[in-house]
Amino acid sequence: MKVGIVGTGSMGSTHAMGWAETDAEIVGFCAESVPEAEPLAKKYHTKVFEKLDQLLSEADIIDICTPTYLHPTQVKQAAKAGKQIICEKPLALDWQSGLEMLRACEEAGVRLLVAQVVRFFPEYAAAKELVDSGQIGKPGTIHLRRCSYRPKKPSNNWFLDEQKSGGILMDLAIHDFDYARWVAGDVRTVYTQKVSSLDPSSPIDFGLTILTHENGTLTHVTCGWAYPPPNFQTGFDINCERGAVHFDSEETMPIHNLIQTDKDAPDVALPGSPLAESPYTSEIKEFYRAICYGDEVRVTGTDGVKAVQIACAARESARTGEPVQIKPLEGVLK
Amino acid sequence: MIKIGIMSFAHLHAEAYIQNIRSIPGVEWIGFVDPDNGRVKQFSEQYRTWGTSDFDEFFAKKPDGVVICSENNNHLSMVETAIGAGVKNICCEKPLATTLEDAEKIVSLAESKKINLMTAFPMRFSAPIVAVKDQLDRGVYGRIYCFRSENEGQMPSLHRKWFVDKKLAGGGALQDHLVHLTDLFRWITKSEVDSVYAQSSQCFHRGEVDVETAGMAMLHFKNDCFATIDCSWSRPDYYPTWGGLNFEVVTDRGAVQVDAFRQNLTVYRHDIQNQVWHYWGSDSNQGMIEEFVASIREERPACITATDGLRAVEVVQAAYESAASGKTVKL
Repeated sequence: MKVGIVGTGSMGSTHAMGWAETDAEIVGFCAESVPEAEPLAKKYHTKVFEKLDQLLSEADIIDICTPTYLHPTQVKQAAKAGKQIICEKPLALDWQSGLEMLRACEEAGVRLLVAQVVRFFPEYAAAKELVDSGQIGKPGTIHLRRCSYRPKKPSNNWFLDEQKSGGILMDLAIHDFDYARWVAGDVRTVYTQKVSSLDPSSPIDFGLTILTHENGTLTHVTCGWAYPPPNFQTGFDINCERGAVHFDSEETMPIHNLIQTDKDAPDVALPGSPLAESPYTSEIKEFYRAICYGDEVRVTGTDGVKAVQIACAARESARTGEPVQIKPLEGVLK
Repeated sequence: MIKIGIMSFAHLHAEAYIQNIRSIPGVEWIGFVDPDNGRVKQFSEQYRTWGTSDFDEFFAKKPDGVVICSENNNHLSMVETAIGAGVKNICCEKPLATTLEDAEKIVSLAESKKINLMTAFPMRFSAPIVAVKDQLDRGVYGRIYCFRSENEGQMPSLHRKWFVDKKLAGGGALQDHLVHLTDLFRWITKSEVDSVYAQSSQCFHRGEVDVETAGMAMLHFKNDCFATIDCSWSRPDYYPTWGGLNFEVVTDRGAVQVDAFRQNLTVYRHDIQNQVWHYWGSDSNQGMIEEFVASIREERPACITATDGLRAVEVVQAAYESAASGKTVKL
């Protein structure tokens, strides 16, 4: 099948590496600035399109790796054109838009695959499997930690514009909001406090959230753009009735590189231990199998919407200083 | 010689403090009093010391200072007894009281009778924490925004049954483990808590006890700092140590991660087919007891007061209120 990748930032190029591991053909990239995207297109022996329409006419699958605020329009446009869709997380900046996107894809009869990539990281997938096996009982308290540095961009740093990215709770914590739901089920209450880039005197972003799940599990989510580059630390503790699972990215680093270097840290930090296959590639492969053969995937469109819903509640709680209740979406979902 | 004794061995920390007291030059360990005859027999034998269940006999030894290690809800009556017997220096185990009313009574008693009443917050003497506080005070780490923290432990009934008794302990995990980090963050930020949000559950050791075994709280301070604390009894019985206390302080220059109990040897043991952590760091309790003794010697108030204890009790009570109502509680 033919895939078109929309967006050529760090996610666009990361997904391209994944697609190169499949038998799909990358028919082109869509980029705001054609000259800037040329080197990437050249690497994959393909073209750059300026307009999404042009790419749509060439591709069977559209992989959307653009800034979050562009997702709803682009997903709906691709659905209308009857393309199978992969969309980067967060699906949208608000859950109502997320629902509209789900419906548009349902009506068009195309799949909407949301790239909640943490579910594909082997350490996170293994812990989820361990909990699901029942060996250690039901989770009581969960800690999820994710902290790096503020994303940099040569220009138009949309990450730091809350109107475009939703800020740290939407862009970064959504990974762990989704993972918390995956492990402990739907969330009832969200309480958050944060330090924000909206405050001009703050060079960092940091948010702390307490989630109460429907089943009573308490999850604590830490998200930060606060460490000096190139640090990116992730970790979790899942404390269960009959045992516990602990993971820390620093403790499990198999290589400690102490070589002097003049190289800068990448613009956008991605976590990861050395693996035979990148979790981003595993994700693309699973999504591709789903599209080709109709296989099940570990993350649904509804999961994507519900993660956005938690992130919205976290933003609201941080703004109001009050806990926010999550409305069950079951009534509005098909 | 400064004469020190312990009132009640109900709290397991008494077993640490007796050794701390005995090791200080110029201090005479006078023995202990405990209304429970069983504990008098057990601990006088175990520590080869004099103990009595007769309070008059104990106070006849004229202690300059006492360390109270009773059950939480008996702190007020122990303080009253000691003051009634003429004791001028008291170090009281945390939490200062199980109710706001008792804690306020202890503070006003200490003030009106001019008693040097120290609340036992040993973490203020933890060497790694002192080192980080020093750097923060000097501005080396920048301006503080917030803290993420955990004071998770094993179910304390492994060591003492009364810790899980609602009446004697005043509650469960929130009562047991919220105060240390609350006090540290008040001390570090030099600010007071103005709102508390908390959630609790009985997910660990479900059905074994009546009190909450898990808790998470978010504190907000007057100076706009905020902090989360996990105070759960989430560590399994076979965890390599009793639990721990760690926090991350986030500033405008990044973050510093502190683990107060990281200085361990990992020991593998055939007999229990498990590993244990053998702590080799400095003893915070020793620093705390030495400060208590120094305050007596120098005839000054100890660096931690009854009011510090009261402030932590206020936060614990607000946490219970928030956990019950689901709302943020203003102080």
